[in-house]
Amino acid sequence: MECAVEARNLVKIYPGGVRAVDGVSFCIRPGEIFSLLGPNGAGKTTTVRMLSTLARPTSGDALIMGHSVVREPDRVRELIGVVPQDLTSDDEMTGWDNVYYQARLHGLSGREAEEATRRALEFMDLLGVARRKVSTYSGGMRRRLEIAMSLVHEPQILYLDEPTLGLDVQSRRHLWGLIRALKKRGKTILLTTHYMEEAEELSDRVAIIDRGRIIAEGTPEELKARLGGERIHLLVGDPQGAEELASQLSSKGWRARAVDGEVIVTVENAARALPMLAHFLERAREVKIVKPNLEEVFLELTGRRLREEEPIDSFRYRIMTRRLRR
Amino acid sequence: MTGTLVVLARDVKKWIGRRGVFIVSIITPLIWIAFFGKSMNIRGLIASGVPQNLPPSLAKQIEEFYNEALKRAFGTSDYFTFFTAGMLAVFSVFQSMFSGVSVIFDKRLGYMDRLLVTPTPRPAIFLGKVGATLFRVSILEALLLAAGVALGMKLKPGLSLVDLVAAWLVVMLLALGLSSFYTTLSFYAENQEVVFAVGNLVNLPLMFTSSAIFPVNKMPHWLQVIAKVNPVTYASDLVRYHLIGYTLDNYLLELGVLLAVSLALFTAGLWLSVRWMTSR
Repeated sequence: MECAVEARNLVKIYPGGVRAVDGVSFCIRPGEIFSLLGPNGAGKTTTVRMLSTLARPTSGDALIMGHSVVREPDRVRELIGVVPQDLTSDDEMTGWDNVYYQARLHGLSGREAEEATRRALEFMDLLGVARRKVSTYSGGMRRRLEIAMSLVHEPQILYLDEPTLGLDVQSRRHLWGLIRALKKRGKTILLTTHYMEEAEELSDRVAIIDRGRIIAEGTPEELKARLGGERIHLLVGDPQGAEELASQLSSKGWRARAVDGEVIVTVENAARALPMLAHFLERAREVKIVKPNLEEVFLELTGRRLREEEPIDSFRYRIMTRRLRR
Repeated sequence: MTGTLVVLARDVKKWIGRRGVFIVSIITPLIWIAFFGKSMNIRGLIASGVPQNLPPSLAKQIEEFYNEALKRAFGTSDYFTFFTAGMLAVFSVFQSMFSGVSVIFDKRLGYMDRLLVTPTPRPAIFLGKVGATLFRVSILEALLLAAGVALGMKLKPGLSLVDLVAAWLVVMLLALGLSSFYTTLSFYAENQEVVFAVGNLVNLPLMFTSSAIFPVNKMPHWLQVIAKVNPVTYASDLVRYHLIGYTLDNYLLELGVLLAVSLALFTAGLWLSVRWMTSR
């Protein structure tokens, strides 16, 4: 078996005709961390929902260790652990109980479930607070509890949907460490994120997804190499001015394009190129040198930024941020 | 089976764990009985029109007349007894609504997806939710009955354990039908307001168009038609038959109708809920 997870031309059209996912294919090899990077609304969560058997593909299929999500959903459910974007743990129960019931739902007997609960909580650094009510947990602890709940049945494949959404930098780094430790244990991990640092930091391979389609795929290095160099951003302000400046630069042989009131110049070495651009700099209000990163790759491919947009269910979002703020 | 029990156990644990909610839901049946039952003092209503200084023989005759009239209307000379037995049925209607609210919150907080990504059989999720409601109703109904007796409900002479179990089964049957209805509604509804709105629309009419607080044969004719298709009527009648010795024209027919309505709601609910879970 070559792929642990293989998406085959997945399409999801919601009632009303919204094409949330529009023909997505990829292969996640056993033991790797594979990221879907894209802005909110790109189709990441819907893709994960189809791979988790929660949403039925309108067409296409996905094979999880060779088992079809459409035809063998129960088999698939035994193989995967899904960490959803939402905080699904119950405030009024203890961390222990949250994980324990999840273990029981996966068919573990009472004693097995206790042992598995202990292991999962220990791995997620939560054993010390296991008997406390979840309402007393910090945002980082809650996110870790979500992962413990998804790990308790020892799945070989783990989906992490925006696992660090809303976390502070320190909690995020802690979680990254734990995700790497999971990889070391041989888990295959599908990560979705709209944080480019996260995708770069953790992934073996990244697929950039936009408007329901995968527009690029490769290792972070391969993707960044596509940019062909470093970038200088000249913030002009008005889009028309930016267009003019970009075409002037292009006519002088620079690789320049205008995006959103900004002129982006691609050069081999930004520090050396900057003095040669001095003549044009006075047209810019601000100048920024950017090393190749995935954000730039996305910008290059789509002409748009990976910015945050309003989540769809604002009730869920509000509850989530309120819980994370503790 | 295990799946059903785990879903059920989690809901029950949450219910008991929420001290405030648990205590309020235990006090509620007591309040219902004490306030509603005792405020509708029908005997006092009739007696107040009778002059005080009557000769004892006449007073006794009038007394007998009331008793007879009340007995004809309510099957017992004590309205409180009649009312409490009916409330046992009504209470399971109102409690059933809450099974819906729990599903709504599980959906909105994402816990339902957690359940659905486990291999738990889809019907077990529905059964667990309905089962948790039946468990809650069982405990609360027992308290309601105990409170009723403490406040003066007169159980029939020679009440047996079989009668108690039968009355419990009747109440469970009604709760099964209605919690299936509300659970299913909640799978399809977007938010809890829908459940409360439907609850307000359905629950009070179910109570007033049944024999729970007033006997059907004293209702206007058109209302009787509605009462005759209302499962709460049959549940009230059957509970009264078993607990206070109410006489029924046709026990099996009443049981049959209740059984049919509840099982229909349950079967349709199970089918629709599983469909919701598998067709997204």
